[in-house]
Amino acid sequence: MVVDDLTRTYGGVPVLDSVSLTFGSGLTAVIGPNGSGKSTLLGALAGTVPPITGEIRRPNAEDMSEKSIGYLPQQVPFREGFTARETLAFYARLVDGDPDAALASVGLSDAADKAVEDLSGGMQRLLGIAQAMLGDPPLVVLDEPASGLDPGMRERAFRTAATYATDDVTVVVSTHNLDLVDAHADRVVMLARGRVAAAGDLNVLCDEYGVDTTAALYEAAGRDAALSGTADDANPSRSGAAAGDEQNGSGDDGDRDVHVTGVSER
Amino acid sequence: MTGDFGVTDAFAGVGAIFRRELATVLRTPGYGVLAVGLLAVLWLLVAVGGGGATGFVPAVVDLLLPAELLVPLLAVVLGYRTLLADAVSGEFAVIRTYPVGVAGYVVGVLFARLVALVAVVGLPFAVIGGYIWLTAAPDTGIFATHAGVDSPLLYVRFLALITLFGAAFLALSMWVSAAATSRRGAAALAVLAFLVGTLGGDLALIQSLMTGTDPSAVAGRAALMPNGAFRGLVFETVIGVSFAQEGNVVDVGRAVGSLAGWALFGSLASVGTLAFRERMSTVIERVRFRFAE
Repeated sequence: MVVDDLTRTYGGVPVLDSVSLTFGSGLTAVIGPNGSGKSTLLGALAGTVPPITGEIRRPNAEDMSEKSIGYLPQQVPFREGFTARETLAFYARLVDGDPDAALASVGLSDAADKAVEDLSGGMQRLLGIAQAMLGDPPLVVLDEPASGLDPGMRERAFRTAATYATDDVTVVVSTHNLDLVDAHADRVVMLARGRVAAAGDLNVLCDEYGVDTTAALYEAAGRDAALSGTADDANPSRSGAAAGDEQNGSGDDGDRDVHVTGVSER
Repeated sequence: MTGDFGVTDAFAGVGAIFRRELATVLRTPGYGVLAVGLLAVLWLLVAVGGGGATGFVPAVVDLLLPAELLVPLLAVVLGYRTLLADAVSGEFAVIRTYPVGVAGYVVGVLFARLVALVAVVGLPFAVIGGYIWLTAAPDTGIFATHAGVDSPLLYVRFLALITLFGAAFLALSMWVSAAATSRRGAAALAVLAFLVGTLGGDLALIQSLMTGTDPSAVAGRAALMPNGAFRGLVFETVIGVSFAQEGNVVDVGRAVGSLAGWALFGSLASVGTLAFRERMSTVIERVRFRFAE
């Protein structure tokens, strides 16, 4: 999947600014501070957020007969009043899938007959992940699948995503859980204020920054991005962008140097 | 699932949406309460009008005006949040990642809500019809073939017209649910649609007569809005069969076309609004972005 010069604005304020990336197979983690544009990028990848400029080329996008994207938004959206099995059965009918197998794949077989609203937050997210993977799409986009979960659930959510991310499948997740990125991600995209601060193979990036963990990489890349963006801080429009980004993403950085390496950045 | 996206796949998608929506309706106790409430109101109206013994056509006369208000009201209640609910929760964005188009999604929801309309609105009217059949004078059991005879068939026509009338308002209220961005906004738009739909046509007709419109044009113009079309059709095809009348209340063909047209318009507008709303906002953002550059 290729993201080419993607820009997205809300209210005229850039949230993603000239982002170009290539996503290969495996698990790619999108990290960055709140309001950096992660959800907007993932929404764009899933096709729910149209770009203002630029384009996104997805695998099998022209094939209307099959599900080409699996998507879990930040807020799990399932309709109340239905059990977990009924919820997945609805989606399974759209792709000729097996709801019970999908439930089993995320360890929710025992909760199959529970109403969606009676599931814990973690179980709802696992249900969302199972939904996203129904129909075996070649691209799965999960927006903060581990958000608000206890450590065990977080690990389970990421392990499920990583297991699905085979040689033929691209899985993109956004997260603040950097230890899980260390454990499961093949590649990392770090966003800062709507721009790519760093992107590439996780190990290569760590080597280039001279760090051992994603948390250290996050700090180093974030520091570089902040330093190179200092001149733009005088721009009053940025505070407005950051405020607007609570919902939609991030603001405009203006031009600055970006430390980029690996295969992900174009 | 492989191969081209064919008719079978499209029907499967519509069927899945239909089943889910129908299940949602069945699990909403409020709709059952509405149906029972409507039945009570209708029974009361018929009782006040002389009871079921008066026959089908007198009952239709008693129920016509209340139907003009209650059918649109209940249709709007059934439809005004249907498409909004999935849009606000974000589930519509998830559904769009599956091989089901916007048109298939709207059709599935609309058909399920039509079934709900028949159950919530049509069934109470049908029960009243059954009550009249059981209690009416003997000659109401005759199946009318000519004017001047009361008949259950006339009441069946009334039921069919109620369904068509309700379908028009249901489709229009679904358009409201597609256009609204919040529950409160949907409620406001629904009230507006209800008032315009129920009163707008009559007020416009009165206004046009006051400004010198030829009265002979009334039969055609009355059919343009849903309420005028429904009322005219009831007079022409139900009440008018038993009571000889002079002149046309409404142009029957135009009135049927009007009700079907409003239903079709509401459905297509729902599809168009859902499909193009995001594109429109993106176009506006693009214009802003260009000016900001």
